[in-house]
Amino acid sequence: MPRTLTFHVFRHNPRDPGSEPGVREYQVEEASGMTLFIALTRIREEHDPGLSFDFVCRAGVCGSCAMLINGRPGLACRTLTSELPGTISLFPLPGFELIADLSVNTGKWMRAMSERLQAWVHLSCEVNLNEIEAAMDPDLAEAVYELDRCIECGCCVAACGTALMRPDFVGAVGMNKLARFRLDPRDDRSDAEYYQLIGDDSGIFGCMSLLGCQDVCPKELSLQTQIAYLRRAMARQGL
Amino acid sequence: MKIIHSDVLVIGGGLAGQRVALAAKRRGLEPSILSLVPAKRSHSVAAQGGMQASLANCFKGEGDNEDVHFEDTVRGSDWGCDQRVARMFAHVAPKAIRELAAWGVAWNRVRAGDHEVVINGQRVTLTEREAAQGLITARDFGGTRKWRTCYTSDGTGHAMLYTLSDRVIAEAIPVHERQEALALIHDGQRCHGAVVRDLITGELSAHLARATVIATGGYGRIYGISTNALINEGMGAALALETGVARLGNMEAVQFHPTAIVPTGILVTEGCRGDGGVLRDVDGHRFMPDYEPEKKDLASRDVVSRRMAEHMRAGKGVSSPYGEHLWLDITQLGAAHIERNLREVKDICRYFLGIDPAKDFIPVRPTQHYSMGGVRTDFRGESPWLSGLFSCGEAACWDLHGFNRLGGNSVAETVVAGMLVGEYVADFCQSPHGELEVSTALARDFVQREQRGLEALITHPGRENAVALRRRMEQIMTDKVGLFRNGPDLESAVAELADLLARSREIAVSGGLDANPELVLAYRLPRMLKVALTVAMGALNRTESRGAHFREDHPARNDRDWLNRTLACWREGDALPTLEYEELDVMSMELPPGFRGYGAKNIIDHPEAAPRQAEVDEMHAAKQDRYAAQSYLMSFKQFLPLKYRGRNERLDEPLP
Amino acid sequence: MNSPDSFLPPRIDPWPARLDLLQSATGLVLGLFMWLHMLFVSSILLGNDAMWTVARFFEGYFFFGYPLPWLVSAFVAMIFALFVTHAWLALRKFPTHWRQHMAYMRHMRAMRHEDTFLWFVQVLTGFAMFFLAPVHLYLMLTHPELIGPYESADRVWSGRMWPLYLVLLFLVELHGGIGLYRLAVKWGDFKDAVASRRKLKRLKWGLTVFFLVLGLATLAAYMKLGMEHAPNAGERYQPAVSFLPPLSKGGGGGFLARASVPPSQIPPNPPLAKGGMA
Repeated sequence: MPRTLTFHVFRHNPRDPGSEPGVREYQVEEASGMTLFIALTRIREEHDPGLSFDFVCRAGVCGSCAMLINGRPGLACRTLTSELPGTISLFPLPGFELIADLSVNTGKWMRAMSERLQAWVHLSCEVNLNEIEAAMDPDLAEAVYELDRCIECGCCVAACGTALMRPDFVGAVGMNKLARFRLDPRDDRSDAEYYQLIGDDSGIFGCMSLLGCQDVCPKELSLQTQIAYLRRAMARQGL
Repeated sequence: MKIIHSDVLVIGGGLAGQRVALAAKRRGLEPSILSLVPAKRSHSVAAQGGMQASLANCFKGEGDNEDVHFEDTVRGSDWGCDQRVARMFAHVAPKAIRELAAWGVAWNRVRAGDHEVVINGQRVTLTEREAAQGLITARDFGGTRKWRTCYTSDGTGHAMLYTLSDRVIAEAIPVHERQEALALIHDGQRCHGAVVRDLITGELSAHLARATVIATGGYGRIYGISTNALINEGMGAALALETGVARLGNMEAVQFHPTAIVPTGILVTEGCRGDGGVLRDVDGHRFMPDYEPEKKDLASRDVVSRRMAEHMRAGKGVSSPYGEHLWLDITQLGAAHIERNLREVKDICRYFLGIDPAKDFIPVRPTQHYSMGGVRTDFRGESPWLSGLFSCGEAACWDLHGFNRLGGNSVAETVVAGMLVGEYVADFCQSPHGELEVSTALARDFVQREQRGLEALITHPGRENAVALRRRMEQIMTDKVGLFRNGPDLESAVAELADLLARSREIAVSGGLDANPELVLAYRLPRMLKVALTVAMGALNRTESRGAHFREDHPARNDRDWLNRTLACWREGDALPTLEYEELDVMSMELPPGFRGYGAKNIIDHPEAAPRQAEVDEMHAAKQDRYAAQSYLMSFKQFLPLKYRGRNERLDEPLP
Repeated sequence: MNSPDSFLPPRIDPWPARLDLLQSATGLVLGLFMWLHMLFVSSILLGNDAMWTVARFFEGYFFFGYPLPWLVSAFVAMIFALFVTHAWLALRKFPTHWRQHMAYMRHMRAMRHEDTFLWFVQVLTGFAMFFLAPVHLYLMLTHPELIGPYESADRVWSGRMWPLYLVLLFLVELHGGIGLYRLAVKWGDFKDAVASRRKLKRLKWGLTVFFLVLGLATLAAYMKLGMEHAPNAGERYQPAVSFLPPLSKGGGGGFLARASVPPSQIPPNPPLAKGGMA
């Protein structure tokens, strides 16, 4: 006997002066292997064609569909309804500009963060593309990739009490990025330069180690370790 | 009316689009990128397995070079590709990967010494050279004679896209996210930009540019079940098609990937088989060697997919509530290898199937995966029919892949084409043809036409349900324009799709003109149906089997009559596209048509194949230096931008 | 930049790093001190003499041969300074606007996440300690010599300090335990952060429970003693003679030198009224 799931979904279009933030209820019959992507698509197709949400890869790799699932940030596309109770509340990710309903503008936030933290490899010079590439330690390459696996879904920001209180806080996503570039031998920045980017209370020293980021990261990145590593390195700059 | 100017308008923020924009920027132009979604969420991010480039660093890649890569690619394409483009590609791929390595992609590296791998079900110890320590390594992929697929675990597309996106941010290239191009602004000869809709506010604007580049990826979503992201709806192809002058090439060439999971259609990488995984049937029997004794599980994708379907038709499939499937077995690779090199696969199995691939078999079946067809361009990436319109990546029919693409050649194409087309776009912009001469009246006409169309949609009392029409289209494409095709089914597909297209003009829409998903579906669906019709008609007309296009009623590859490229054009007011054909010149091929070495050997020869083969053999018999022989058979370097003409250094091939 | 009237910022402003380090360091010292403090205070559970010995020990009695209560005052002053510094630095992290407070509350309720909740506990306990801890600190600063079995018990019971100490016990143990755990995850370099954190969390709760139980038992002991001693409140404790070293000036009184203590050499009682804040 399949369950009938009750969804409480946040609905609001901030650009429509007539729209009041509210919650709408939908009933969907559960199917085997049903994910929130499937359920929301069904709601849109059968009940509410105007419901806004963002799915792109629907495979847990693009980071588009993060939302609050029963209060916790997570990727909706890979959340199976079978792992949830019969009543499911869905809210847009806090900490980001609301577009409509469950859709938020994570892209804008992430681009601003990248620009502010200069989150790219700073090359000392361009390489000659005809020549054999510079060798890199295999373990180091794997370690860099490990930190590069962030999908910028915004879960860590939405799970961070600090970020929600202080919108200028860079969040775990930003700190993890700098940890990644600091580890990368191709980035020739010094610690003093990193310090200028995050050596204050909106950066590494603003982190209060609530570790919501670590506990919700869909890619299970070692955020606690990276933040601690960066904190030790940046603290040394103050001595 | 808002008008935005830039030098280069890139439509699509994936690997190809961003690389083109970077090339333009580095040539002193001002590019801007339009993207339906934040650029880092583009479908390029989902590429798992790797990128082909003949670096020849790892033991199993030793002896690899551009020649081998070129030949693998041509065979993979079933001789449908443009061999000159394949040459340019194979030559630039090592440079592309080295550039990405310098920019920050954490390619997996060679560890000198012994390491254990699984080859053909056996554990084998390979010994890597000391000299290769720390250089970029590669894994095995289908249809390749060397281990050539470079990778970062199984998140290659992610690593590449993030690195390129970071460079785009570093070089301050604007990315207009959540913006959709609705129509190209053109005068029948020259493309001047696009009408763009803001998906948040619904506002329309005119983006005018010297050059417009379509880099929107494939059209997989016209199929019901696809490995593609939801945004791959073929809107780039539709943009070109709706100009009435630009042509789409080889739209019937649609690839089905052997290993997408059941039922969601999410891809698990070819790297699973490349690293030693095998396919099994309902009895647990490894069946691929029965069909393909040479390449076994690692024949090209079109071949493996067809063999799988054939095996299921023979009653060896596993039944499930979601239809038949087969098993992918990677258990013998071991948990440690999976944790390290197939992490996404592990995650996908865990979250979508609830299984552990180190212990359980993965349920898979062939699923729509890649669009070889797209906006037909010349080797420079420009449409021969509409000056100033460029295209690259999966959206284009450049034509690197012909009728079947090799795994690992797709992300490679995106960056290589991005590098090359980017230079040609810059050349164009800096030439007298590149001057922007457009009246704002023309731009206003185009914007107003789109505006009226959208307003009509929300005011018109429609009677058709968009979702129902869409589901029907997907069903037709899956059932009748799928892995196996035949005349009667294709005819009914074309008729039904044409009917759906007519009905799609009567779609009912509630809600307003701003962020309204219902409106988006309503205006995209007719465009998707047009793209679907070019696929179905191309497939109907092509009465042969080549690469991924397989006609049960015409199983032979007919080089005599069909060694050509389908071109589809949609003249304004027509109910169906018009098809024409572009012949491939056998006498200028470096690799004349022959047997691929895998798949069924059922070929009707081209009359020029044998004489050309004789010429080629004679050249090879002369045992010249490989560069000289190649240059004699099919010179291509003059088509490359000057900066990319240099030879590629390898451990065994030092630079002169 | 050398010019004194330059308003150019320094290339690197080291102060955010220093303040962060200082906040952690003061927290670490205070947290560890509170655990030790609890162990010393709980010596009452081993008997009055044990507690008396510990109290005199910190007055340097066994080192100098006579008690120097100002040593305790000096130490208290130092702790007071650390406390003020820590409070001032921690204040920067408090939600200062109503909007921030609401954002945190909403988030905490929705997330149901232990570490997020524990931070709020720290804010509340820290805030309460702003007011409650100075009361005790001031007493210790001004009357360092009044630490002893009867003296302390009288303060607890007759001085009506037990409600404050009861509340302070919970505030300190919760705040300190959480704070030390947070320091570990904030700075620690763990091989397996997830497993280590789980262990740390268990350790943290274990220690908190231990110190709360110990604290409650200790407070109960003082209350009982204070109740019994209430009729003689203000009377100083005299240790049982045989166990203790002489209190003679320069008498080379090592801890192990056990001798009788002539009452004349014990510091005189302060003139305190019975039932006063002893």
